Amino acid sequence: MDRSINMVDQEQDGMLPIANVGRIMKQILPPRAKISREAKQTMQECATEFLSFVTGEASDKCHKENRKTVNGDDICWALSALGFDNHAQATTRYLHKYREAERDKAAANNQNTAHIKSHGGLQVAQQNQTSNLEFRVLGKGDNSLVTKP
Amino acid sequence: MRQPGRYSRLMMCGGIMGRSGPHSLPLARIKKIMKNSGEDVKMISGEAPIVFSKACELFIEELTRRSWMTTQQGKRRTLHKEDIESAVVGTDIFDFLVSLVSDSCKSEDIITPVGIETLDES
Repeated sequence: MDRSINMVDQEQDGMLPIANVGRIMKQILPPRAKISREAKQTMQECATEFLSFVTGEASDKCHKENRKTVNGDDICWALSALGFDNHAQATTRYLHKYREAERDKAAANNQNTAHIKSHGGLQVAQQNQTSNLEFRVLGKGDNSLVTKP
Repeated sequence: MRQPGRYSRLMMCGGIMGRSGPHSLPLARIKKIMKNSGEDVKMISGEAPIVFSKACELFIEELTRRSWMTTQQGKRRTLHKEDIESAVVGTDIFDFLVSLVSDSCKSEDIITPVGIETLDES
C-alpha cells in the first residue's frame, strides 16, 4: 500500500471534511460563483485551525478554574475573548436554544413516564428516552441502503 | 394531553436536536479535532461539538464572504486561495491564520527596500 496515500488520509482525518466546508462556502456565495479546489483546501485548514485555536482558549479557561470539562459556555466565552464577538453572540443564542430544547424534551419524557405510571396503561411514550446526544457521524446525508439488482 | 412539539424551527435550522436533521459539520470529527488541540483537553461536554458546528459554520461564512470581496474586486467569479489569503491578512481577528496561509504562499514577490545611497560612490 502506498504510504503517501495513507499519510494524506490521516491528514484529512484530522481536519474538517472538505465536502462539508465546500458546501458551507457555496451556500454563502452567489449561485454562479465557483470555488477552486485549492481554496476549499485552504478554507478546510483555516476552519480546522480555528477550531483548535478556540478550543485551546476555552481549555485554558477551564484549567484556570480547575474544571475538567470544556462546555458550550466556555466556547462562547473563548469566541468573545478572541475577538469573534458577532460569532459569540450568535453561538450563545444557539446554545441557549439547544439547552431549552433539551430541557423541554426531558420534561416531556418525565411527563410521559409519570402519565404511564399513574394510569397503569400501555401508553407508548412518544419521545425517545435515550439521551439526545447520540449524534451520528455525518456521511453523505443519505442513510438509505441502496442495493443494486 | 398536549403532545410535545417538534421544535420545528430549531430542528430545521441546523438540526439542533440532531436526530431529525444533520449538523453542517460532523460532530465526531469536531470532537476529535478538539481533543487533538492540546493535552489539557481531556473532557468535552456533549453540547460542545454542537456549539462548535455552529461557530465553525459562522467562521467559514465570514471568511468566505470577505474572500469573495477580493474575488469581486478582481472581477472574477472563481474564488481562489489567494483571495482567502488576502482576507486573512486584511482582518485583525484572522491574525492567527496568517502563518498558516503564508506557509503555502511563496513570498517571492515581496520587495525589500534597497538603500539608494550605496549607488553613489563618487
